Amino acid sequence: MATHPSAWAALLRANRRRIALIAVLVVALVLPFIPPFTGEDYRRWLVGAAFMAAQAVAFDFTAGYINIVNFGFAAFVGLGGYTSGLLAVELGIPPVIGMVVGGAVSGFVGLVTGALTLRLRGIYAAVMAWFVGLALMGIVRNVPELTRGSLGLAVPSLLDSPENLPYYYVILAMLVVTFGVLTWVIRSRFGLAFRAIGQNLAAARASGINPTRYLVINFVLSCAFAGWLGGFYAHYYGILTPDVMLTSHTVEVLAIAYIGGRGSLWGAAVIAFPLSIGVEYAKVQFSTLPGVHLVLYGLLLIVVMIYRPGGVAAAVRSFDDWLERRRRPAVAEAPHPA
Amino acid sequence: MTTAATNLRPAPFLRRYLTFTWLTLAIAAAIMVFEAFANASLVVNTLVTGGMWALMAAGLAMVFGVMNIPNFAHGELFLLGSFTAFTVFSPIQDALFDDPSLTWLKVFGPIPGMVVALAVGAITGVLLEVVLFRPLRRRSRDQWVMNTFLLTAGVSVVAINSYRLVVGNDFHGVSGYWIVPPVNVAGVPISVDRLMVLLIAVVTIGLFALFLQRSRLGRAIRAVSQDETGAQMAGIDLNGIFILTMAISCALAALAGASLLFLFPAYPDVGLQPLYTAWFVVILAGLGNIPGAVVGAFLVALLQNLTIFYVGVGWVDVLPTLFIMLILLFKPSGLFGSAVKGVWEQ
Repeated sequence: MATHPSAWAALLRANRRRIALIAVLVVALVLPFIPPFTGEDYRRWLVGAAFMAAQAVAFDFTAGYINIVNFGFAAFVGLGGYTSGLLAVELGIPPVIGMVVGGAVSGFVGLVTGALTLRLRGIYAAVMAWFVGLALMGIVRNVPELTRGSLGLAVPSLLDSPENLPYYYVILAMLVVTFGVLTWVIRSRFGLAFRAIGQNLAAARASGINPTRYLVINFVLSCAFAGWLGGFYAHYYGILTPDVMLTSHTVEVLAIAYIGGRGSLWGAAVIAFPLSIGVEYAKVQFSTLPGVHLVLYGLLLIVVMIYRPGGVAAAVRSFDDWLERRRRPAVAEAPHPA
Repeated sequence: MTTAATNLRPAPFLRRYLTFTWLTLAIAAAIMVFEAFANASLVVNTLVTGGMWALMAAGLAMVFGVMNIPNFAHGELFLLGSFTAFTVFSPIQDALFDDPSLTWLKVFGPIPGMVVALAVGAITGVLLEVVLFRPLRRRSRDQWVMNTFLLTAGVSVVAINSYRLVVGNDFHGVSGYWIVPPVNVAGVPISVDRLMVLLIAVVTIGLFALFLQRSRLGRAIRAVSQDETGAQMAGIDLNGIFILTMAISCALAALAGASLLFLFPAYPDVGLQPLYTAWFVVILAGLGNIPGAVVGAFLVALLQNLTIFYVGVGWVDVLPTLFIMLILLFKPSGLFGSAVKGVWEQ
């Protein structure tokens, strides 16, 4: 009566998390062809959702692993966008190259900020990143000769197509690259150091890790990806205003990252889709009430912070563990028939 | 933490030129201040805004020192105060328009608005502690500082946008509290509003300092900020102290908002600049350092006014940030930070 679990089933179970991620990716790939999302409006929401997802992954890389909240995140996104946009407008450099340069510039500003503040306590770094963000926004506002200030900078688009579908696949690819690279870093010995520092700074230092170096590496990577994604924002929407850098945009990304689950990367990436689309839907439903989406994000963030600090990722993980525990006694009994 | 202290020292090559750098900066600053102070309104503006930033920053520093909460929603208390004061003061203002002969109303009219703002701020503080911070504290104190930072960021976003939904995007302000001709101080006309605000700031800070230094409760608050466990062992009711701290801090912020209504009309984002400035002061003075926050507030107000005077209003966010980065490079725990090391160090 004892049935050996087949090799296939064991393989599936061992790789179930990887399989689940691939399934999610497949869903994301075919989503624009499933009825409500075939319309251009819905596809624009999808692009926005994937953009939020990629930002949340880059944000979680810092917030979830080294426990530093980059409160100026939106400014780093905006800096990348402005760099890429200005390169295209002033020098005619193609957006694809401009986006990479934008990422490099954001990474460099992140390096300066991080080198100055990351040797201090976490809260200093968070607040200083916020100050740097406000300062960047101030600079963009104050040089209208170059950035056209709050009038907005018109930027050439990334693709020739006016449709949203190709853009969706571009940003989805960027999301996969962001996720892949950052996951790869987390799996390396760097990731081990990040987690050690995030959990207990003194213990990490005692075991021979130079915290500042790793903190700065992490911060710079996150900022560089933020800048690269900002380049997409610039060349997708085609117009840049200093409002891109507003702290409220940081809070949106932050809310998604924490609701998705800190320190998981995938939690933020997955939850961004339903959350961002739901919020867009709410925005349309309550179009007479500006800012209602931020109230929703804020309330969700508060509830998650108090009652479910691990977010969706922790909930999924504990559900998975529960399934495992239910399965295991049955396996343990199997080798003893009568 | 000795390891932390050794790690925080500036790099050697910077230290070599430190004295020279400070000297140059000090001379340049002295010349700039002297030049600018030929303009009397700059002095008054510095004192008036400095006094109110001191109220904001002292509350922020206290909440951080006692409860380890980096309150990101402090600016929304400023908004609450200014809107409350507007609501209370506008009928009084209307009554004054109808009958300008009411001298007593002219003198005491603005007071109720400020008192009500103070009360509303205190109540909000109690609510924040009971509804948000206490449940979180009961669940987990892991990574408390970061978690409360995010929590208050959420509160801030909800507060700003709820205000926008309920009240709208309009400016609600008054042209002045005391509608009387300006008085002459050393030959320069200065509006009574500004003088009164300065007076309010000085009196409030004085009372606050007296309370912290002399009263039993003030001593208890300082004890908790130095050593929570020790204070608890000495029989101090932590929950009571937390509620009191939050109430005082929020009341001070609301009072600042109410007093500055004639400069900052109530609108959804009005709290951003006060919040930004208060944080700026607290970082400059060292987290949790209340006296340092009061001194730092005037310093920052001077810095902002000098920036406006020499460069322009738009750069108020930019230049001081560069300045604070320089400060942090040489003095990582703030200008007066070394003396103050509370529970938050753990």
